[in-house]
Order: sequence, then C-alpha cells, then structure tokens
Amino acid sequence: MSMISTASQEHHNDEHSHEPPWPVQLKSNRLGMWLFMLSEIFLFGALLTARFILWGQYRPHLSQEIGLVATVVLLFSSWLVYRGQTAIEFGDHKGFQRNFLFAAIFGLLFLIGVVFFEWNIFGLSASIGPIELFGHLRPSDGVESGIFFAMTGWHALHVVTGVMLLLIMWNKGRHGEFSPERSWGVEGAGLYWHFVDVVWVFYYPALYLMGLPM
Amino acid sequence: MVSESKSKALRRGMWTFLVLMVLTIIEFGVAIALHGAVIPLFLIALVKAAIIVWVFMHIYRLWREESH
Repeated sequence: MSMISTASQEHHNDEHSHEPPWPVQLKSNRLGMWLFMLSEIFLFGALLTARFILWGQYRPHLSQEIGLVATVVLLFSSWLVYRGQTAIEFGDHKGFQRNFLFAAIFGLLFLIGVVFFEWNIFGLSASIGPIELFGHLRPSDGVESGIFFAMTGWHALHVVTGVMLLLIMWNKGRHGEFSPERSWGVEGAGLYWHFVDVVWVFYYPALYLMGLPM
Repeated sequence: MVSESKSKALRRGMWTFLVLMVLTIIEFGVAIALHGAVIPLFLIALVKAAIIVWVFMHIYRLWREESH
C-alpha cells in the first residue's frame, strides 16, 4: 500500500516537474495575449481603413453628444478595471470585485448608448434642445452607413465579450480564486478590456469627429 | 511583482484617467475648430492610446522578469 502511495506521489511530482515555473508561464500568457491583440489590430485596422476609403474627408450626420458620452463611459470603465487590477495585486479582494463589477456595468451602459441610442433599433426620435438623442443612420442606407454599423457592431461584439470576461472574473473573485501572486485571469481580462478601449480611442474620432458633415 | 505602494498606483490611475478626459475634450474642441482635420485628431488619438497601453495595460511587463 505504501509502495503504491509512494509511486503515485512520485508520478504526481514527476507530472508537476514538467510544468514550467510560474514566472515563465506568466510571461508566456502575457506574450500570447499581446499577440492575440496584435492580430485583432489587423481586423479593426482594416475596418478603419475602409471608413477612410468610403467616407474620405466627410462623415455622416451622427449625434456628437452620444459619441462623446459613450467615449467617457468607456474610458471610465477602463479606469475602474485598472483600479480592480491594482486592488487584487495588493490583496484587496473587495476592491477588486467592486471595481470589476462597476466596470462591467459601465460597459453595459456603453452598449446601451451604441445600440439603443446610436443605432436607434426602435426607430425613436427625441431631443433635448439642440442635442439629438437618437441616431438616424440605417444599415440599409448604403455602403457608407454599412461601414458605420460594421465598425460599431464589431466593436460592440468585443464589448459584450469583455463584459462577460469581467463578470466571470468578478464571480471567480467572489469564490476567492485569485491572490496577489496568482491573478493572471484578472490581468488577462483587464488587458482585453483596455484593448477594446484603445480601439474606441481611434474609432470615436474616425466616426464622429474627422471630416466634414455629408 | 509589486514594487510600489497601492495608493501611489491608484493615484497614477486617477491622473491618467483625468489626462484622458482632458485629451478627449481637447479632441472635441479641435474637431470643431479645425473642421474635422484628420491629422491633429489622429495624433491626439495616438497619444491617448499610448497612455492607455503604457499605464493601464502595463506593456513594460512584457520584458520584465517576474520574481515569484
């Protein structure tokens, strides 16, 4: 019995001896994540290029206010994620959970801003003084509006994924799965969320600010 | 892994967010003042992205050796 137990223990130790040390794993995880984001840049970059080919020096009529508010909301959520990452690195579990949960909520607010107000899926019309609350573009308006929906749609899909990741990490954090030394999941989800933010940093001026109104 | 105090890291995050907000407002103003000129707006976006990549995404950790 003891021989079996010892053999089993040796096998267990042998299995673990093949695992690279944690610092090496962490370095590989980070490199893999950055390479993934690099591959995503090609995709988002292609859509951005298409915008300049199709719209040139012009842009369609979009609500400047919706674009600005959406940008502020996304930047704010990115800051919350940074705060959550910092919290877990210092062993503050409550701080991490709180910040990630609020970041996910603000991510959802961004989605509402894009889908409900800018896409105007219910075809509403309202304004506060000169500020228009709902967008007018339709995917069927032609290829010029098509690129707007392709860019914002593809970005929104990434926001949905990011919100899911944030909520998964928040839930794992509630069950005490992270520690200051072992928090790659938090770091990886944070990197993804910040990347989504970086994409919007370029998409916002390209869609809302660059060029003259058509 | 952790080489600075928590409060210092949080303060840096807050200042970064405030700088990003200021740049976003400047971006909005530049778009109005320069009638949507592409180059200045693209340069502002580049600066904002670089700040996020460096401070929020900690890109420098890619070439840092971990001790634990």
